[in-house]
Amino acid sequence: MTQQFLFEVKDLAVKYPNGELALYNVNFRIESPTFMAIVGPNGSGKSTLLKTALGLIKPVRGQVKVLGYDSVRENKKIRKLVRYVPQRDRIGLSVPLKVKDIVLMSRLLKKPPPRFASAKDKEMARDALKRVNMADLWDRPFPELSGGQRQRVLVARALAGDGPILMLDEPLAGTDHESQDMIVEALGEYRNEHEVNIVMVTHDLNPIHTLVQDVLLLKNTVVGVGTPCDMMNTELLEKVYGPTARVIEYAGHRYCVTHDSGVDRHY
Amino acid sequence: MRDTDTVLHMIQELIAIIDLLIQTLSVPFVQRALIGAFLIAVVASTSGTFLVFRGLSFMTSGVAHAALGGAALGLFLQHSGLVPWFDPILGALLFSVFVALVTGYAGETGMTEKMEVAVGVSFALSMSIAVFLMYYIPPTQVPQIWGYLIGDILLLTNFDVALLAVTAIVLVLITLIFNKEFIYVSVDMEGSIAHGMNARAYHYLMLITSALAIALATKAVGAILVYAIMVAPAAAASELIKSIRGIFIAVFVIALVSELMGLVASFTFSASPSAIAGILAAFSYVVAMQIKRLRNRVSINLDTLPQHDEEVNHFLLDALDASAHEGYDH
Ligand SMILES: Nc1ncnc2c1ncn2[C@@H]1O[C@H](COP(=O)(O)OP(=O)(O)OP(=O)(O)O)[C@@H](O)[C@H]1O
Ligand SMILES: [Mg+2]
Repeated sequence: MTQQFLFEVKDLAVKYPNGELALYNVNFRIESPTFMAIVGPNGSGKSTLLKTALGLIKPVRGQVKVLGYDSVRENKKIRKLVRYVPQRDRIGLSVPLKVKDIVLMSRLLKKPPPRFASAKDKEMARDALKRVNMADLWDRPFPELSGGQRQRVLVARALAGDGPILMLDEPLAGTDHESQDMIVEALGEYRNEHEVNIVMVTHDLNPIHTLVQDVLLLKNTVVGVGTPCDMMNTELLEKVYGPTARVIEYAGHRYCVTHDSGVDRHY
Repeated sequence: MRDTDTVLHMIQELIAIIDLLIQTLSVPFVQRALIGAFLIAVVASTSGTFLVFRGLSFMTSGVAHAALGGAALGLFLQHSGLVPWFDPILGALLFSVFVALVTGYAGETGMTEKMEVAVGVSFALSMSIAVFLMYYIPPTQVPQIWGYLIGDILLLTNFDVALLAVTAIVLVLITLIFNKEFIYVSVDMEGSIAHGMNARAYHYLMLITSALAIALATKAVGAILVYAIMVAPAAAASELIKSIRGIFIAVFVIALVSELMGLVASFTFSASPSAIAGILAAFSYVVAMQIKRLRNRVSINLDTLPQHDEEVNHFLLDALDASAHEGYDH
């Protein structure tokens, strides 16, 4: 079998209509299957990269291939494979959708109208909610949940779906340590049980560095790409997070210290 | 003896009222008004609810006024002899679709703020066109344009009712088939596209059908009533009710009750039914806000002062009493 690439990005540049050059000179390849983290500070183009891969934004230069499909010409095929969760603040709260409706979205969106939920859909949704310990909130209005709870429900939405690629934009933003652990654990467990790719955007490598295989350090262009171990490198982190970034070694473990993170152990 | 007298008297009175009611109900224009009220309530609970979900209640007024501009254009084309077959309603529909398209284009990325600006601009544009064209329309025809603004549910023609009925049926069908799509577009446009749904198409479908419905309703009952009935009940219901189906039903009920009370008021003392219905609908929103605030206050009191249950109950009863009186005053 030939090696499949989750991402094959060549000479990519993305510009917004207001002239903002969000990404330039982006080149990298990631083998499939993987658990991948895209790391970088605010405005470094992480969300832009995901949206470009989904064909939501057209590059001004270069191309992105997702599992071999071109993001512009073949975005229909990519969208069949993907379960995507945007940043939490992109989810509108003016409609009193129930938690179950939000989780069912990833399954119902891939059906033709009228998109009725089958017993299997509901079972998958319930199972996904259990994985993030939210099954009790099945019938609660989503807009009434706390930020961290909403985040967990959105992760469940990705887990409930079908398709070999999960793309999660900042699933850990605004969550406390407990929620963070729960989400990270749920993702890790899911990945062990299923042959899927997980792509996760985050500010902070520490909570996930024990799970991820590939890390892309981004600051509007690729600063580094490799294993978490390789990326735990003061020189690289300084490029992304500025001169306060540190990696410290203690008792045989590496710790990554940036303004965006606390300290965490790297095995 | 006295008791039976009063009871008899009451029964007689009741019979007289029922008699009057039956008489009134057999008058064709009253029947048309009642059917019209029902149909407008259907439009409100479908289009009105989706627009409020989408954060676009302002579009109702934009479209209603654009319809007026379009009607002016239609009259102008007819009377200047440029396009004699151009009925004003065609102009109204054309302009309302124009507003929907401009709004939709501005909102393709899912940003509500941009859509509001687009509505404002196209609103101003179509009103300006209306006023501009009025100079060139025979003065006898000008009231027809203003009819779009003020309108009267008591002056519905059979054709108006038929048009409204078709609109309502189409809206209900589209809502039954595509309600999930419309909701997904409102909640998570980006995610919907990323999962392969043609969100852009549904985005436009919702805006255009709503615009057409608003224009037709405006032609029938006037912009004021349409605006009052389309926005306030949906806003009131979504403040209080935590289920989507519940909101649809509540909007329908609030809209229908406001309209019926408007009609009844217009029979008992001479008043514009649209105005009364509008005031009642707006009032439902105020009441909803009040109830919501009360609920919050009560739950806070219960949380922080569990030992003062008694007091809280008194407070709640007093407050409910007060708001009930407020309600009956009108
Ligand atoms: N819709 C938009 N229009 C114009 N510029 C944009 C838009 N979205 C993002 N940008 C710009 O593109 C750059 C990258 O933004 P992006 O949202 O991809 O960053 P990010 O890494 O996801 O940041 P965050 O951590 O805050 O989510 C930023 O400079 C931002 O200002
Ligand atoms: Mg982002």
